[in-house]
Amino acid sequence: MDTNENNKFELEKNHGNHLSNHSSGISDHWQFNTSTSSMAAGLMNLVTSSPYPSASEMEPFTPGLWNHHAANCVPIGEPVAVSSGGMLPSTVPGISSPRLPHFPAETALVERAARFPCFSGGNFSGMNLLFRPSESMVPYTNAMEDVTEIQLGKTEMNTTVQNGVLLPVDNASVNRGLITNQIDCESREANFTKGGQEGNTDSSDAARNSSPKKRRTTQEEVKRGPQSSSETTKETTEGKQKVDQNSSEHSGKNGKYSSEAAKGDYVHVRARRGQATNSHSLAERVRREKISERMKYLQELVPGCSKVTGKAVMLDEIINYVQSLQSQVEFLSMKLAAVNPQPEFSTEGLLAKNLLHSHGGCSSATGLPQEMIYPQVSLYPSQQGLMHSAISAIINPSEALRRDMNAQLSTTSVYKESSLQV
Amino acid sequence: MKSSTRNPNPNPDTPRFGPSKLMVAFRFLRALTLVHRTAPNSSNAARSRRIQRAAFASMAYSAGPRRAWSRALLWRLHFHRARRLCAGRSRAAGVPRRPSTTRSPADELRRLVPGGTGMDYCSLLEETADYIRCLSEQVKLMQSVVDSGGPRGR
Repeated sequence: MDTNENNKFELEKNHGNHLSNHSSGISDHWQFNTSTSSMAAGLMNLVTSSPYPSASEMEPFTPGLWNHHAANCVPIGEPVAVSSGGMLPSTVPGISSPRLPHFPAETALVERAARFPCFSGGNFSGMNLLFRPSESMVPYTNAMEDVTEIQLGKTEMNTTVQNGVLLPVDNASVNRGLITNQIDCESREANFTKGGQEGNTDSSDAARNSSPKKRRTTQEEVKRGPQSSSETTKETTEGKQKVDQNSSEHSGKNGKYSSEAAKGDYVHVRARRGQATNSHSLAERVRREKISERMKYLQELVPGCSKVTGKAVMLDEIINYVQSLQSQVEFLSMKLAAVNPQPEFSTEGLLAKNLLHSHGGCSSATGLPQEMIYPQVSLYPSQQGLMHSAISAIINPSEALRRDMNAQLSTTSVYKESSLQV
Repeated sequence: MKSSTRNPNPNPDTPRFGPSKLMVAFRFLRALTLVHRTAPNSSNAARSRRIQRAAFASMAYSAGPRRAWSRALLWRLHFHRARRLCAGRSRAAGVPRRPSTTRSPADELRRLVPGGTGMDYCSLLEETADYIRCLSEQVKLMQSVVDSGGPRGR
């Protein structure tokens, strides 16, 4: 798991370098505070303060947070401005507020991650899995879920999660409400079920007590933090709602956060009533839900698959679609090889056509062609005039601009393909 | 295929969708003209191969290195190009064929989507989604090119 996590982090880091730096700093920070209850606050702060929703950020957080073992975490980058000492909720708001744009995803991820260790040992009633509602965020959500999944695998080992989760430091974050809710239940359950989390639970209890929670569980009530604001801010995705309903049915008595009107857009996994609550099954469930979410997204992509149900059939459809697309590309390339249009026509006319097509929804018709004007490519001399005419025909640049283009295109260096990392 | 599409995606402000359609179109058309210019006498099959490679290259370039499939595609193109340059027209016979006794759909997908062999299921699905999106756009682009046709097109 650790290796997987690290591998994932590598990938994610590639994806968002700046983000990972940010997050890695935080993760470093986390490692120091893993064992402290304040870390929870700090974690929350970091999570909420990070402005990037991408999963890459979460990864460093979660590993740092969840892992006692520093080796698991991938420390990189500069430390975050957050105080490395005890992260108190009071400090967090100041830090996180300026940077808290809107990524509940991170918080959600943290929450999820935080949750899992609590649940692993406890007879927790229901975990709700909150998914991000927006489809555009699906990739990110998935990535986050992946991270969460990884985290889940480690939850058993991580006792500090409770601490981290308990303190909803972020004042503005929606997550806080969710987290507090979740954490409350979790921490409570952890207290009951997880003897192993002793030190953490004590601290977490203290932390929990400090934050009143609105959610009630069958287990003893814990004071909750100011959840209302945060709760309301959260919106659930359909997945979450679905899970919520399920868990509501199952855990009516268990007191899940059905009362939360505001559905967060994270995934909170709670063990449903009557289901195994060990971390493996929970992680398995998270993973399955992630997979189903992605399958839904794929279903929308592949035409004519809305009625298909079942993973196997869906997979076959997807495979067929990919194969058909690839064979279509091959067929069209054969056709194009045979067509052999006139050079002027091909670039100019086709570019114009394609631009017209692709600009159907593009607002900045002038902004985009700029990229084409100044690409750093090497063109054959015979092609330059062609390209120039094509581009100019499309964007109608001034004569001076055309000359500039000529100059640029002829003198720009060639980027090696290998420059793109492999 | 001589890499006429060497440009890493320069858009600082790409549109909402991943690879910029404009960049894909631009790259592809440039590569297309290059193919027609440099080897007008080669067979149609060879040219179609090159065009296909150009299509994938433009797609992958525009997608950028953020995606595993685009990275794998680019690597494959580079690799094969280098091999072709060094060792003549040798097929990639060195790649051992996996025994096809157990063909789970996930493995099939992994084989189809470039760069999917080392992935777990979740990210594989994600990559597949992105790959499908880019592929369909590429197909649309090529279709429009064919439709507009050329004066001498069949």
